Amino acid sequence: MIIDIHAHPGYGRELGELRKEFAAALRAAEHHGVRWICLNAIADWTQSPRPAAVRKGNDAVLALMADHPDRVIGFCYVNPRYSAHALAEIERCVVKGGMGGIKLWVACKGSDRRVDPVARRAAGLGVPILQHAWYNRSGGFKGESTPADVAAMAARHPKTMIVMAHLTGAGERGLKDIAPYPNLHVDISGGEPEAGMVELAVKLLGAERVVFGTDTPIRSYGATLGKVLDAKLTRRQRELILFGNAKRLLRRRLGR
Amino acid sequence: MTRVDVSAFLGRWPFRPIEGTVANLARMMRANDIAHALLSAFEGLFYADPEPANEELLSKIAGRKGMWAAPIINLRVADWGEQMAHLARNRQVRAYRLASTFHGYEVGLCAEAAREAARLRRALMVQVRLEDERHLSPILSLPPASVKAIVEIAAAVPRAKLVISAARLPELLGAAEKVKRLRNLWFDMSHFDGLECMRQACDAVGAKRLLFSTSWPFFYARSAVLKVEEAEVTAPARRDISASSARRIFALR
Repeated sequence: MIIDIHAHPGYGRELGELRKEFAAALRAAEHHGVRWICLNAIADWTQSPRPAAVRKGNDAVLALMADHPDRVIGFCYVNPRYSAHALAEIERCVVKGGMGGIKLWVACKGSDRRVDPVARRAAGLGVPILQHAWYNRSGGFKGESTPADVAAMAARHPKTMIVMAHLTGAGERGLKDIAPYPNLHVDISGGEPEAGMVELAVKLLGAERVVFGTDTPIRSYGATLGKVLDAKLTRRQRELILFGNAKRLLRRRLGR
Repeated sequence: MTRVDVSAFLGRWPFRPIEGTVANLARMMRANDIAHALLSAFEGLFYADPEPANEELLSKIAGRKGMWAAPIINLRVADWGEQMAHLARNRQVRAYRLASTFHGYEVGLCAEAAREAARLRRALMVQVRLEDERHLSPILSLPPASVKAIVEIAAAVPRAKLVISAARLPELLGAAEKVKRLRNLWFDMSHFDGLECMRQACDAVGAKRLLFSTSWPFFYARSAVLKVEEAEVTAPARRDISASSARRIFALR
C-alpha cells in the first residue's frame, strides 16, 4: 500500500473537468499501487482566494471523495486571511464531511499569526496540516512560506501535526530549519527528482518524518515514486515513507 | 525492456555531494536494464575549457561496454572545432554536448557546431538546463537555453542530428508544431514531468522524437524509468522512446 499525501484534482475550474483530469491520476496511482490519494483543491489557484472560491474547490474534493470513497481522502484548503470562514470550512469539510487534513498554500506565511486559529483547530481535531513551502531564489509569492516560516509555525503549535510540502524546494537548508520540531514532517512532492535528497531527509529528520506525496498533476507518480525506490534506504524506512507515516498522520480518517 | 540512456554524467556535481563513477554507473545501468549510456563530465559544464574533463571521461570509460561519450564543447574556446575533430577519432564518442548557458554564449552560436558535428557524423546535444532555476546556487546565473532557438538551428542545419537535452514538457509543447516537421531533432525526456507527461509529449511530437534519459546522477534514475513505464502509450512507442530511436541516432549496437 502507498499513500499519496499531496495531490490536486487538476487544473480545471469545474467539477466535470476535474473529474476527467482526476481519472488519469487514479489510473497512474493504480499502476503504481497507490491506494489512498490525499486530495486538496486550491480554490481558483489565486494566492489569496475569496471564501466563495475556497468553498467551490472544497466542494469538488467532497464530490471526488463521494465518487471514490475507497481511494480519496480530502484535505480541506483554507485561507487563514478569512479566519471565520476558514474555521467554518474546517467544520463543514473535516468534522462533518470526513476530510482527513487541512491544506495551506501561499495566502499567508506559516509564521503569520493568522495561521494560529487553523493550527489550533487542527490539533484539536487530530488532523495534519499540509503547508506549502519553498526556498525560491527568485522570491516566490508574497505570502509563500519558507521552511523557516513553517518551523516557526511548528514551534508555536507543538501539538499540531504539520507536513511541510516539497522536499526538493526546501533543500538542505530547509531540512535543517525544521529538524528541531518533531511535529513537523516533510513530503517529497514537487521539484525534480534530485538524487540524494530523500536520503538526506532521512538522515536529518529520521524516516518517521518523511512522507510520500506527488503534487500530481504538477508532477507525475513515476518521477516521484522513483525518488523513494531509488534512494538508499532500508525496507523499513521505505515503508514508513510510502505509507507508515501517512497512516499515522491520518489516523482520524484511517483509524489506528 | 533494454534501455538506452542518452543523457547521464560522470564526475562530481560541485554544489552537493553527488558523484558519478564508473562503478556506480555500472550498478545503475544494471538495476534499470540500461544497455547503453551516453555520458558527459559534470566538470565540463564548469571548466572554461572542458578538454581536460573530456579526456578524463574518455579515460574512465575506455573499452567499457555500453558506455559512450558525449564530450562537452565550449564554443567560446578558440579551438573548439579542433577539439571536436580530435574527439571524433575516438570510437566511443557518439555525440557532443553544448551547454551554452553554462559557458556564457547565445544558443544561436550552436548552429556552427551543428554543421561541424554533421560533418564529423556525430549527433549534437544541446543542454537547456540541469537544475531547477528556483534553487540554483546564488553564485550561478543560468537561465535556460531557448528551446525555440535550438529548433530553429535544427531547421537551418538539416544534415545535423540535434538532441535537446533537459527541456521541460511545456517547452516541448510550445515548439511542437515546428518539431513535427523536422526529421533531425529529438528531445531527451529526463526533465519532463507532470501527470501524463510522456503521453502528452507523444501526442504532441510523436514517440520517435523522444529519447529515454535519466540525467543521472543528478536525478534518481528510477524516476525516468517509471515515467516511461506509467505512460499510456503503445508498446512500439515505448520501444522507440526506450531504445530504438537512440540506437539509430547514436549508432549503438
